[in-house]
Amino acid sequence: MKSVKWKRNGFALMAVALAAMLVVALVGCGGSQQAGQGGASSAASGEKRFVYGTTGYGPQMDDVGLNPHSAYSGWSAVRYGVGETLFRFSDAMEAEPWLATSYEFLDETHVKIVLRDDVKFSSGRAMDGAAVKECLDDLVAKHDRAPSNMKIAGITAEGNTITIQTAEPCPALINYLCDPYGAIIDMKAGVTAEGNVAGTGPYVAETVTDTEITLHKNENYWGGKPKVDTVVVRTFSDTDALQSALQSGEVNATYGLAYSSYQLFNNDAYHVSDCFTSRVFFGQANYASSVMGDEAVRKAIAMGIDKEGFVKTLLNGRGQPAKGPFPANMKFGDDTVTTEGYDPKAAAKLLEENGWVDGDGDGIREKNGQKLTVRWLTYPGRLELPLLAEAAQASLKEIGMDVQVNSTANHADIRKDPSAWDVYVSALTTAPTGDPEYFFGATCLSDSTKNFGAYRSQRLDELYAQLHKEFDPNVRAKLATQMSQTILDDHGYFFASFLQMGIVSQANVKGMVAHPCDYYEITVDLDV
Amino acid sequence: MRRYVIRRLLQLIPILIGITLLSFGMMHLAGGDAVTALLENQGVAVTQEVIDAKKHELGLDQPFMVQYLNWFRGLVTGNMGTSFVTGKDVFQTFASKLPATILLTLTSIIATVVVALPLGIVAATRQNKFVDYLIRVLSFVGNSLPNFFVALLLIFVFAIVLGWLPVISANIGKTGVAAISWAGLVLPTATLAIAMASKYTRQIRATVLDELSKPYVEGARARGVSESRILTKSVLKSVMIMLVTLLALSIGDLLGGTAIVETIFQWDGVGKLAVDSIVMRDYPMIQAYVVWMAIIYVMVNLAADLLYHYLDPRVRLGGDE
Repeated sequence: MKSVKWKRNGFALMAVALAAMLVVALVGCGGSQQAGQGGASSAASGEKRFVYGTTGYGPQMDDVGLNPHSAYSGWSAVRYGVGETLFRFSDAMEAEPWLATSYEFLDETHVKIVLRDDVKFSSGRAMDGAAVKECLDDLVAKHDRAPSNMKIAGITAEGNTITIQTAEPCPALINYLCDPYGAIIDMKAGVTAEGNVAGTGPYVAETVTDTEITLHKNENYWGGKPKVDTVVVRTFSDTDALQSALQSGEVNATYGLAYSSYQLFNNDAYHVSDCFTSRVFFGQANYASSVMGDEAVRKAIAMGIDKEGFVKTLLNGRGQPAKGPFPANMKFGDDTVTTEGYDPKAAAKLLEENGWVDGDGDGIREKNGQKLTVRWLTYPGRLELPLLAEAAQASLKEIGMDVQVNSTANHADIRKDPSAWDVYVSALTTAPTGDPEYFFGATCLSDSTKNFGAYRSQRLDELYAQLHKEFDPNVRAKLATQMSQTILDDHGYFFASFLQMGIVSQANVKGMVAHPCDYYEITVDLDV
Repeated sequence: MRRYVIRRLLQLIPILIGITLLSFGMMHLAGGDAVTALLENQGVAVTQEVIDAKKHELGLDQPFMVQYLNWFRGLVTGNMGTSFVTGKDVFQTFASKLPATILLTLTSIIATVVVALPLGIVAATRQNKFVDYLIRVLSFVGNSLPNFFVALLLIFVFAIVLGWLPVISANIGKTGVAAISWAGLVLPTATLAIAMASKYTRQIRATVLDELSKPYVEGARARGVSESRILTKSVLKSVMIMLVTLLALSIGDLLGGTAIVETIFQWDGVGKLAVDSIVMRDYPMIQAYVVWMAIIYVMVNLAADLLYHYLDPRVRLGGDE
């Protein structure tokens, strides 16, 4: 009897539990949705609506939320039209006024910035010197990178003017103020738990989650009248789904499509906006390696990688073969430096002349009993890197090099051990602030954090010391060119290609233009 | 029986300790950490001081066992910690993704049973007829296709070509669980159900055929009992035991999330969360997932054992008199 009773009760309980699961699951489920309704602007209500699908937003990018003082969330604030910086980048990646009107270096450690007098935060508060000071003070107190970049020692505000004092000369300060972490927000309005802020941009965030941001237009925007009423930014982690959502009309524009998808949208129904960024795929030689310590080998690698073929075939033409660290649209970019082009015959001859010969006929050269084996360390986090490794493996085999690829998420641990790799290949945005100092300081100097191969050049260190103090942009550009040429001549680094960033939108979308700095996406010009 | 249930639930304690320690150890052996993963994704160089400070903040500079014990102490006091990646409360984040996963589990299980049960029975009762061959071929094809391919195929046909259903499972503009739409539920459910129903159909067919050849069926036929009565009153009971076994395994799998389907359809469930967390070495979130999976498998297996006993009282529960 007891057993039967329990059985009844037990199964009644299980039925209740199952029902509860169903209720929990169904709670809040929305009503029906017509396919494809997401992206289209609503003609019936007269409201213009725009849905933007992107792979560039989410926890994995460390840019969730819109608080510019947290990690990379400033990118989201600026990209999606909520935040604006005092200065912004032109197409040539030169700083130009945005929320500021002008600046003047009073001396090596003081810069005076005059602000626009017609700007209001979305909270309604006027943006004046005091508000900007509050914001920058909070930035320096809380952000991980800004303090070491800008070296701000103090800020004074007076009316619509602020004066920034730096602890040491910081010629690139204005460039750093273009970084999205420098987006100006109303600190009195604060930052919500979700990371929403009151900015000065054409759009105001209504809801912010890990996967989606809903924005509506800022009726009081100082720079004109936004044309779209509602903007939804939605993250996609699968590029096939992103492509399908654009094809089905659920999103109006996309950022981050797979290379192979672009050919589907080269027609009148869509518009592709492209530009080259300073994100470069590059390798550094490990000077502690017996193979890479030989300059002939380093030079042969520079001559033996078919960069054109890599870009054309494996990246579907969506990239630009690189010579040095900066793209050609910059004053100190690829047009100002020279390096060896793809020349496998000359590379083979060079190796031959330096004692690397294929004695046993297995296709791989040897010298003093050592095989010409190059351990190529990279990571799969950026899909271009394993492709580059494969391309290099194939083309370097032709000149008698055995490239052994190790593409692993654990690359950061492995690269600490100089005996575990010969070439480390990674992706880096070399000029996120349009200034060359950052790349050399982070990657190429004797004490650089990312100089994993222990490259040493006294000349480079000296040039950097000059660059660090130089305020004249033209002189800085010349110094940067000399520095790029130095690392190329030493063959301590090789640069494969620059990322070609693309935004694909439906043909009726206007004002959605890719920018070299990768910061500006949704602007007041957006229209559908 | 109550003692049996309590004993099974108590088994959760060593299971939890064992698998959380194992998963924690494996994540550390795999190398990498959340700080490096985040910084590499942005491709912007930061100073070693910034990296070290972040690692210290997250406790990643402490020895392995100290990290584990800190986490376990939090678990037993009801605090699963905060995500290394988002900085949000792990329990709340995980709980917010569960309803979507539970919903997809229920709909795909229901769809699977509704399709597979009649098809399996029809295929068995029409053995070696055209219908049987057709069902077997279809189930073979459905079983062979990987989930991601089925998903892309369904998207292409129903979202892009016909425009009947959305690619994105959520209502754009709405957020969280509230965003899940009925129309958006169809394709992910179908994707999961196609593979499962194909497998179930073949299993049900085989079980029904096996039962139909048993002496008690012959006897029933000899006594003039109708085929439909034999099927519904006798054969189906045996099928149910097999079905419960399959369902227990499938429900366990599905409640663990289906990362590929969730990723393709932008379904905000625990499977995608788990995969993202593993990629980013978000230890607290991974541990939450491990705990969830342990609980799910113990509970589902317990439920299956109880159901066996209910369906066939000859099946005795371990140690239960």
